[in-house]
Amino acid sequence: MTLSVALGPDTQESTQTGTVTSTDVLTAPDIPWNLVIWNDPVNLMSYVAYVFRSYFGYSEAKANKLMLEVHKKGRSIVAHGSKEQVEQHAVAMHGYGLWATVEKATGGGDGSGSGKGKGKRG
Amino acid sequence: MAKAFKSGIKGITGYLEPAERELLRSLFDDVVSMLEPEERANQDPLAALVGLDSEAREPSDRALRRLLPNVSKNDAAASLEFRRYTERSLRESKIGALKAASLGLDKDELVLSPADARHWSMALNDVRLVLAERLDIRDDEDAGHVHLMQDWSQAEDVESYLALVYNFTTWLQESLVQAMLQSLDTRG
Repeated sequence: MTLSVALGPDTQESTQTGTVTSTDVLTAPDIPWNLVIWNDPVNLMSYVAYVFRSYFGYSEAKANKLMLEVHKKGRSIVAHGSKEQVEQHAVAMHGYGLWATVEKATGGGDGSGSGKGKGKRG
Repeated sequence: MAKAFKSGIKGITGYLEPAERELLRSLFDDVVSMLEPEERANQDPLAALVGLDSEAREPSDRALRRLLPNVSKNDAAASLEFRRYTERSLRESKIGALKAASLGLDKDELVLSPADARHWSMALNDVRLVLAERLDIRDDEDAGHVHLMQDWSQAEDVESYLALVYNFTTWLQESLVQAMLQSLDTRG
């Protein structure tokens, strides 16, 4: 298993939650979590892209980019948010048959810590 | 022969031969019976009603484990706790999609609304995940080998039959998803 996909700089560009605020005070519940989709040899590339577009409302370009990242790198972080939010997404992904897990965005290994507040998002 | 699904004014339309409908019906039913939670004598009916299952465990069957995966890669305790809160409703939503798709097979014409199409794509996907486990598809190379099996006259044992069925459901799902993507595009 590769560790190459720590935290892509571009995975947060179009999540328009509108609830993300400046993170000067980062308390424990604010630590973001990631939704990770894993590659498998069964799910169709078209289906994975369809799920990303229809469930997350991602553009065709973004959905295809994430799908290819799953396919080529073995996994991709496709969304993040609070633990509850990403867990809800994970159940939805399992409903679609995609292999999804959740993980803390920060800490561990060579984590680049990009979940920490670097100015404003969204 | 089945025809590829198409997106049009009426919605997404497809055509299946009676034998293909029977095959799909039995595949959908098989996966439904895998997913149906076992009834336990000492089950708390109220907990079951709200979707809690304090007895839920990681399935021992590989195919079922793929349908109902752990939510954490490394934290077994967190995965188990999550499973207890969510697995029952996940099973039910999968069963719902499979049964909806199965019901659609009763109609002469296959005309799918966006919701029908979603149920069909999920149902076909779950069927393929189960078949892939039975066929031991572990990587793209395995999938490639299975994909070579296209001729029904080659079906001489259970494995080659399963491979042909897998390839048929793959083709059908691909054509459906292409039609769904097309209707996403036209809706803007």
